[in-house]
Amino acid sequence: MSSEKPHRTFSLPVLGDVSRRTAMKAVGATIGVAAFGRAILPLAELKDRVTLQEFLQKHYKELTPQEKATIFERLESETKAQYGAAVSIRDPPPIPGVRFGYAINLSVCNGNGRCAEACHRENNHDRATSQSYIRIFEMPRGTMDLEKGRSTYDHVVPAPDSFYLPVQCFQCENPPCVSVCPVEATWQEPDGIVVVDYNWCIGCRYCQAACPYHARRFNWQQPEVPADEINPDQGYLSNRIRPQGAMEKCHFCLHRTREGRLPACLEACPTGARIFGNLLDPESEIRWVLANKRVFVLKEELGTRPTLFYFFD
Amino acid sequence: MTTLPHTPGPKPTHWVSYPRFIWQSLVLATDGSFMFYAWMTLLTAVALVGANAWAHQVAHGMIVTNMTDHVSWGLYIANFTFAVGVAAGGVMMVIPAYLYHDRRMHDVVILGELLAIAAIVMCLLFVTVDLGRPDRFWHIIPGLGRFNFPVSMLTWDVIVLNGYLLLNLHICGYLLYIRYLGRTPDPRWYVPFIMISIVWAISIHTVTAFLYSGLGGRPFWNSALLAPRFLASAFVSGPAFLIITMLVITRVAGSAKMDFKGPTRTLIQIVRITILINLLMVASELFTEFYTGSAHVAHARYLFFGLHGYHGLVPWIWTAILCNVAAAVLFLHPAIMRSVRWLVVACVLAFIGVWIEKGMGLIIPGFIPSTLHEIVEYAPSLTEWKITAGIWAFGLMIYTVALKIALPIFRGDVNFSRR
Amino acid sequence: MPRRLNTSGCLLLIAVSAAPGVIGGCSEQRPGAGDRAVAASHQGDETGRFPVHLNLPVGPPRVETGQRDHLDRPVTVSCVACHSLQAPDRVARSGDDLQQFHQDLQFVHGNLACLSCHNPLNYSALRLADGTEVEYASVMTLCGQCHPRQSNDYVHGAHGGMTGYWDLTRGPRSRRICIDCHDPHAPAFPHMIPTFKSRDRFLSPQSPH
Repeated sequence: MSSEKPHRTFSLPVLGDVSRRTAMKAVGATIGVAAFGRAILPLAELKDRVTLQEFLQKHYKELTPQEKATIFERLESETKAQYGAAVSIRDPPPIPGVRFGYAINLSVCNGNGRCAEACHRENNHDRATSQSYIRIFEMPRGTMDLEKGRSTYDHVVPAPDSFYLPVQCFQCENPPCVSVCPVEATWQEPDGIVVVDYNWCIGCRYCQAACPYHARRFNWQQPEVPADEINPDQGYLSNRIRPQGAMEKCHFCLHRTREGRLPACLEACPTGARIFGNLLDPESEIRWVLANKRVFVLKEELGTRPTLFYFFD
Repeated sequence: MTTLPHTPGPKPTHWVSYPRFIWQSLVLATDGSFMFYAWMTLLTAVALVGANAWAHQVAHGMIVTNMTDHVSWGLYIANFTFAVGVAAGGVMMVIPAYLYHDRRMHDVVILGELLAIAAIVMCLLFVTVDLGRPDRFWHIIPGLGRFNFPVSMLTWDVIVLNGYLLLNLHICGYLLYIRYLGRTPDPRWYVPFIMISIVWAISIHTVTAFLYSGLGGRPFWNSALLAPRFLASAFVSGPAFLIITMLVITRVAGSAKMDFKGPTRTLIQIVRITILINLLMVASELFTEFYTGSAHVAHARYLFFGLHGYHGLVPWIWTAILCNVAAAVLFLHPAIMRSVRWLVVACVLAFIGVWIEKGMGLIIPGFIPSTLHEIVEYAPSLTEWKITAGIWAFGLMIYTVALKIALPIFRGDVNFSRR
Repeated sequence: MPRRLNTSGCLLLIAVSAAPGVIGGCSEQRPGAGDRAVAASHQGDETGRFPVHLNLPVGPPRVETGQRDHLDRPVTVSCVACHSLQAPDRVARSGDDLQQFHQDLQFVHGNLACLSCHNPLNYSALRLADGTEVEYASVMTLCGQCHPRQSNDYVHGAHGGMTGYWDLTRGPRSRRICIDCHDPHAPAFPHMIPTFKSRDRFLSPQSPH
């Protein structure tokens, strides 16, 4: 761009005569570009957060074990730098021959919310928003109409004539959230768990619109957790601290369950309402429940085929 | 199409004439009256405010919007949906011109195609600002990232929107360049693309409707009527905008060499039908919802009457209904053909009516109540308004500049031999 | 929280080989064996499975006297300390029916009398409905005679909850027993106060912007 003062007109090859007006336009354009640069200056804050390695990081399924190790190391050091907590990030693979199933006994659940709290702590959720993958509805007896339920109840439980419906990701066999993702950032693992690559998600939130169960949560900002409250036992596809602008969801505590341990919400349940296990093992507790209790799923008519079941007994 | 005097002499090569065409376009785009500069400065200012707000949003996170896990799409996607409709609506000039060989429409059809370009650019921007991680944009580029085609409707939308943008860029670019050279356009180089673009225009809005109507968990959208409704309303908002554009051009630039009367008349006649079809379809949906009275009516009830004491969208939707009905009445009244004032009022009402009905009146109530029937209301934050205004300003800038280039070339005021 | 019943104050974790038949295996108690030690001792069992620890009592409960010894430890006495001298009251159905002791005991458990479960022949043990003596450690057998459905659910891992491993080939599991959650004298599960509410951004009522 030329900003020198023109003498009436002067010539440039190809372009022809340049008039005072043209020069003024050039000045205007320069100011415009400068103003644009100033306007988007806040983006400069990003350079600390989005490193080149992070920008170029490949999809989870394309990573070699070495690349994974490098990435986990980077994420660990980032957590150390940003949160002041020493954590270790692992990536336990699905166990062959295992497909997870979950059941909740609604006759026993009393809505005390310990499961939601355990999820909150286990999964390093944002403290300020008391985020959790579990949401519990207090329902009046005699209806399954969620419109009559309330998740904001705050009194001694169980309330008379109420039952309680904890809702979390049902790890559907036919998950609508996976189909809609434009970049394959979310998929179903062989053990049935629907996971998210938090470093691949572009944050379009289409999956959140597609999920019929309000199971997905978006990181509207970087989650904040005090260093001493961070759970250092972390999985890449599960409870590591999620980046801002990415989607997350319940993963059946895969960093625990893929090592044979029970999910945090089950261990925390004081009423023993939760039953977890391997759907492919005919001797498992979950199979006994499916065979002996009259189980049902939420919104069965949608064809999502949840693998978290409810029952009354 | 006005016949241009064919200049004798040897044809210049494209290596010379095309850069000159670009340069000339640049000159045309930046030359104008005081009003033009004032208008462009205003739009630039608004666009910059939007760019600044977006930069803040990217830096601090989507927390600066008022969207929530319950209402996870808001003003951006509402405007995206509407802008797709405007882009598709531009085709309502193309169909009479090329399918019905309306000569007068032929001369001004470029207005519709340029509108499509500007509107698609807006669509792409609205989607981009809605992304939580725009820095990972490359993940959606086929070949580079992982493009979940054909399962995800969003990938279809990426294809049809960008395809429509390319089609219209080609058609407009080709016609303008050839006109600039003073030659007669070769039908082989643009008529097939025009024909494709007609089908494509239908497809962009159909696919956009499928984005929503394919979601079983959202009963408010999960209706087979959504795509037809989208098209009908698009064929209201697009032509309404074009009618106003032609009135403005006549006012600002004069219509000495371009006949807008015939095309305006044609568009009015189109809107007369489409606005009624749209209202009929809205009424049909509402009847089904309310008369059935199933649990699915909660969204419509929230939208129109409020639910459990929450009625944030009630004023919006009744404004939209009033605008649409009033616009329909005005369009049907014979005076609309004579009175410019009433025509402007009718077009503005129809445009606003559809903007609300398809945006705040369609996207937001899909989320309220939520899939677990919780009610969390939504009203856009200041940041969202700034960014939205910025994108509209940018879209209008593109359209203004495009018209500034296209009109003189089409009128034959500027061409290669007469520079 | 579920109230831990004051049984003997020295509850021990007892190992039982596998989940099915858990109750029947309760007699396999090993007083004094620590959690870790039991797990280790069972690691090499022929099924290749880790044990399930049940939170069973090792013996009869002791009653606090309210007095303290020279080391400031609470003085407790065994049931038989009094009951060996006392004739059994066969009609008493609650603390209100008693002239002395246990008068503050809240008893809300169906239509039972004290001696429905307590054994008048041996107050250090319990008895089944048919009079068979049963140790405190086998209290779940006693509960199960009236609550077979819950008992059956428990045996199949569908009642009472657990911690540890879902996959017993990878690690052990701990389970509460009936009286951990249900006070045998007032077995209704206690009311609780929700201590945690997951919130959403701007969950209603909406904050002004």
